[in-house]
Amino acid sequence: MKRFVNSWTGIFIVFILLYLLKGLLPMAFLTEVVIFSIYAMGCSFLIGRLGLTSFGQPAFLAFGAYGAGIYLYYFGTNSYVAILVGVLASLVINMIVGTFLVRLNSSYFTLCNQAFCVVTFFIFQKALVKWTFGDNGLLLISRMDPTPVIDLTSSKGIYLFSFIVAILVWLFFNYLMKKSVFGATCLCVKDNEEKLRFLGYKTFNIKWLAFVIANTVAGLAGAIYTVYFCMVNANIASVSSASEAVAISMLGGAGTLFGPLVGSFLFIGLKDIVSQFISHWEVLVGFLLIIVMLAGEKGIVGSLETYLEKRKARKKPVATGVV
Amino acid sequence: MNGQLIISAIVLGLSMSGVYFLLTVGLSLCYGLMRMISLDQFLYYALGAYMVYTITAATGSFWLGALGAMLTTLIVAFAVERLINKRVYSKPVMFSMILTFGVNLMGVGLIKYIWGLTPKPVASPIGGSLHILGTSVPGYRLFVILLAVAVYIAVQYFLNKTILGTAIRAGIDDAEKVEALGINISRLFTVTFILSSVLSALAGVIHAPFVMVSPEMGMSITAFAFMVVIIGGLGSIKGTMVSALIVGQVVSLGAVIWAPLAEMAPFLVMMIILLIKPTGLYGSKLMSR
Repeated sequence: MKRFVNSWTGIFIVFILLYLLKGLLPMAFLTEVVIFSIYAMGCSFLIGRLGLTSFGQPAFLAFGAYGAGIYLYYFGTNSYVAILVGVLASLVINMIVGTFLVRLNSSYFTLCNQAFCVVTFFIFQKALVKWTFGDNGLLLISRMDPTPVIDLTSSKGIYLFSFIVAILVWLFFNYLMKKSVFGATCLCVKDNEEKLRFLGYKTFNIKWLAFVIANTVAGLAGAIYTVYFCMVNANIASVSSASEAVAISMLGGAGTLFGPLVGSFLFIGLKDIVSQFISHWEVLVGFLLIIVMLAGEKGIVGSLETYLEKRKARKKPVATGVV
Repeated sequence: MNGQLIISAIVLGLSMSGVYFLLTVGLSLCYGLMRMISLDQFLYYALGAYMVYTITAATGSFWLGALGAMLTTLIVAFAVERLINKRVYSKPVMFSMILTFGVNLMGVGLIKYIWGLTPKPVASPIGGSLHILGTSVPGYRLFVILLAVAVYIAVQYFLNKTILGTAIRAGIDDAEKVEALGINISRLFTVTFILSSVLSALAGVIHAPFVMVSPEMGMSITAFAFMVVIIGGLGSIKGTMVSALIVGQVVSLGAVIWAPLAEMAPFLVMMIILLIKPTGLYGSKLMSR
């Protein structure tokens, strides 16, 4: 019960902080941060809790994005339905792709995943060019009607909406990582898969479910992305952006609840600032990745958590805010 | 569809196989000995191509450029190995993957900074063409095929007949025992890494006249290299050669049938092979760690 309250406090504090920051920072920046934090959540979960490094994350982002985009372009005008369609599309594709990819061990998984990402890029760019218009993309700007309750066509509405979705995703992953048996078995897969199999668990099912959950969340982010930018083109699945999700997860701390948020805040902030001075931000991202990996895999939030736990162990507990 | 088209597609496929083989033999060696997936091989590939462009433009000699590219890569790879990569050999494979990806990304950024974004052309050093069964085949493609065969024989000779190669093969089987025999395994790692990187650079050098040299060239060949490595089985030189042959043919013949097939067909082949044998064609159980 106490941890439950704590996690709620954490989410509440983050909520207030982000709300206050809204006055200081441009809204476009914050919206992007929140959407990216949803996107990186799945990748962070896969790396930190399952030990599967996913360099193919843009592919799963693209499925959600194109699901929403194709619905809006060809079928309807309601953004809520578009996001739902995007999520369902990515769910179905992940369930199929997962059965192939998850059978492989971790090195093969990573390589296949990145290869899959490249193939997805070519499918959207060249093979389906009649429907997706390749690099030009689907322009949706006049195809969205204002929606009831939260108007997703306005910038304020989409900020609020992505924010609410982010909180729901946090709550979901908080439950998944801290309280459910499933989350615990995921960690077991990372540490010692053979032993878990020996104990009678079907590790394939665990990995498959985790894969589907993580990548459907990425698809959700993709769908919101489409609605936010009012367009989607093949570049969303390009391999050169595969580093973003991994960099964000590692920077913030893989497998932590707020790691993706902190990571994407730093990553996008740095990218925005740096690209004003030098146009090639890859240097910086690469450098950060090297530093984070050499300093240990914990990342910012991970290191903070260990520090807080150490302090808690020394002193009598004071309710620590950030989980 | 006529015979000439098919013959020239097969020759093109064989020369692509040569490039893929040179590029992936490094990945395979690194995984076999050090249990690391060295994504920075793609950086050395791009670096090799850029160095050959620069030196060829300055001196006019492609062969001097090739030599210069390999020497530069040797130095860069040595520095990277000593400064960065050696720190993660003992850690799980995930570390090396993300770390070397970071190195790759940083290198690509630096290449963009130094050489700019515009693609650069490199002239083919061997002009002229041969006639095979009534089809004219560019001489340079045949040269690439012969070079890849020569490198395959040289690598096999090095691994099987020389003392250093024998030590590397022993290290692939059991690194600890090799260390117990008094062989400096850390030096062995360095030698293997540099060998892999120089071969990757050679792949970049010989691929440069086929394509325009651009900063993203390492990124765009990544997927094919991975497919070759996975189909052949990580860590196996012979498997790498066989799968490079398969992928090269699938790419070039696929492009003859339907252009987008060139990019997707190897992936389908990979998926089918993985369904039958999850460790690739020649990957042993030992390698599946």
